[in-house]
Formats: sequence, C-alpha cells, structure tokens
Amino acid sequence: MKNIIIGIAVFATTLSACNNSSDKSNEAKNKNSDSVITSSKTNQEPTKVTTSVKDIIDGYLQMKNALVNDNGSDAANAGKTIMTAVDKMDTSSLSDQQKKSFADVADDIKENAQHCSVNGNKIEHQREHFEMLTQDMYDLVKSAGAGQTLYYDHCPMYNNGKGANWISEIKEIKNPYLGKKMLTCGSVKEALK
Amino acid sequence: MKLIKKILLAILIVLVAIQFIQPGKNNSNEILPTDISKQFSIPESVQAVLKTSCYDCHSNNTRYPWYSFIQPGAWWMASHIKNGKADLNFSEFGSYSTHKQQSKLKSIANTINDGSMPLSAYTIIHNTAKLSKENKALVIDWATKMKDSLSQKIKL
Ligand code: HEC
Ligand SMILES: [Cu+2]
Repeated sequence: MKNIIIGIAVFATTLSACNNSSDKSNEAKNKNSDSVITSSKTNQEPTKVTTSVKDIIDGYLQMKNALVNDNGSDAANAGKTIMTAVDKMDTSSLSDQQKKSFADVADDIKENAQHCSVNGNKIEHQREHFEMLTQDMYDLVKSAGAGQTLYYDHCPMYNNGKGANWISEIKEIKNPYLGKKMLTCGSVKEALK
Repeated sequence: MKLIKKILLAILIVLVAIQFIQPGKNNSNEILPTDISKQFSIPESVQAVLKTSCYDCHSNNTRYPWYSFIQPGAWWMASHIKNGKADLNFSEFGSYSTHKQQSKLKSIANTINDGSMPLSAYTIIHNTAKLSKENKALVIDWATKMKDSLSQKIKL
C-alpha cells in the first residue's frame, strides 16, 4: 500500500514536470528535425552564410515544380528551403523602399512556407498556402526585381472557378494547382523581369 | 483479485493526483490595441460568430468550459489554445504585417469553407460553436471583402 502511494506521488510529480516542459521539448524536437534536414542539404551544396531574393525565388520555383508533379514531400522540403532563405536574407543591398516591402512580405512568406513544410501528406493544403505564397512572391518580385525573366500565370479553374495565379520560370504552362489532372490549364498574364 | 483492486485504486489516485496539475489559464480580459476589433471594422454579427466559434482557441480570452477544469481536459484545451494561437490570434491580429493579415483572412475563409474550423473535436462538445450555413457565408463573405480591400491597399 505504501509503495503504491509513493509510486503515485512520483508519477504525479513527473507529470507536472512534463506539463511545464512540454513547450520546450516540442521546440527541441522541431529544432532537431530542422537540423537533420539542413545537414542533409549541406551535402549537396555548401550552406551560404547569407541569401538573396534569388534564393527565395529558387525555393519558390522548387515548390512550384514539386506541386506540378503532385509531389507533396518535395514541396515540403522546398518550404524549408524558403524558410532558411528568408531567415538568412541579406537586405543590405536593398533600397529603403525595398527593405520596407521585404519586411512586410517576409514573415508571411515564412509562415506559408512553414505550413507547406509540415503538410507533406496534405498536398491540397499545401496548394492553399502556395496560392498565398504566390501573392507574397509577386509583390516581392515587383519590389526587388526577379533577376531573370519570370512568367505570371493564371489558372481560372482552381478553387471552384475562383481561379489562382502562380509564377513560373518557363513560358510553357505547367499547372501547380491541378497537377497531372489538368497540367496545361492556364495562361501567361504577365512577364516579370 | 487483490491485484486488480490495487490497480484500480492506483488509477483512481492518479486521476485525483493529476487534478492538482492545472495548466495556466488563457484569459487576460484586457483588449489589446492590436485586437482585430480595434483596427478593422467588423460587423457585430460577424464579431459575435467569431467570439462564439473561434475565440476560445484563437484569442487571449478563452471562456473555459467545465471539462477544462477536470484533467486531462485541461491539457487537451491548453494544447488547442497553444497551437491555435500560434496560427491565428485575433487579439494580436493588428500586429501582423499587411501580407500576413491578408493570408490569414484567406485561411479563415478556406478553413470555414472546407469545414476544418472550428475543430470538430470541439464542436462535438460545444454545440453552439457549430456554424450554420448562414453564419459560414457571413464570415466567409466578410473575410473575403476584408482581404480584397487589403490587397487594394498593398497595390497603392
Ligand atoms: C478547439 C479550438 C479551436 C477552435 C474553436 C477553432 N480553432 Fe482554428 N485552429 C485550432 C488549432 C489547434 C489550429 C492549428 C492547426 C491544427 O492543429 O489544425 C488552428 C488553425 C487555424 C487556422 C490556420 C489553418 C492553416 O493551417 O492555415 C485558421 C485560419 C483557423 N484555425 C481559423 C479558425 C476559425 C475561423 C475558427 C472559428 C470559426 C476556428 N479556427 C476555431 C484550434 C481551434
Ligand atoms: Cu496551414
């Protein structure tokens, strides 16, 4: 009997300890999974100390192409690439006006990229965030420039006919919202320089 | 038989013991200057729906239901509040960048439209938080219009 009571007392204290530290251990877990991914990435290319708008665009295009291929786990990885690119962004070469626009889009780009990164098994949810991400990217490119020719495409069918836009590095239409189902649905609305 | 009695007793005592471990409560009662109602015009009808169906998990003021005073209900509620506020906090909506506000408004319309919000685990217990067809349309319409007017602002 005594043993039981002692056992319960120990159990209860452990529980209360868990309760307080649950936030921290979650954070630690997130950090761990992040670092695993970054380290596997460093095998392919040396990690850059700072990144530019181009790296963010590259991450976005990587996500776009993953969604074209209906590949949620690649899209999730691209989300992580984008988050790192935004975090390490070197804004020193931007004008004041550009800095201001960057500050306004940066946290939303990260938030949308983050949701994509943790929803590798829910591609339709990724596509919802990709649509919002596109709006951020469009405004970023308009303000800071693309450094390459990009195409702003429109798909009238996505979202029950409400339509949605995306940015592509190629002129040919490859639809990231409908993927294989309707690969060539859409048209170029604008060329971005 | 004796063993079963001991185990039952142990479970009972554990249940009693965890009642003493209560997570901190999320009700500041103060309306921050960043509160969505301080920065945007929200029709009263929309505000009422948001308060009833969303604020328990997406604001700094939770109206705690009875089961949240009983463990493990309190943990369950606390984890919803923590994750819910991380994604969307109406009490701090005004501190978001314009782009983020825009995205959140779109997400609000999306989640209501596809029925993923309010969480069904919650509406099972909180019948009043369930959204009627009219209330869904009301909030979606408001969120979409708000979003469009913010997009307009960004373009200028
Ligand atoms: C019982 C708590 C609870 C209630 C009530 C609730 N939410 Fe949520 N909400 C959450 C949690 C938890 C998350 C985090 C994501 C998840 O776990 O699904 C979330 C996430 C969200 C998101 C982000 C979705 C995304 O992934 O982009 C939106 C938008 C949202 N909620 C809107 C609402 C709206 C609008 C209401 C009211 C109609 C509402 N929620 C009611 C708990 C709740
Ligand atoms: Cu999401």
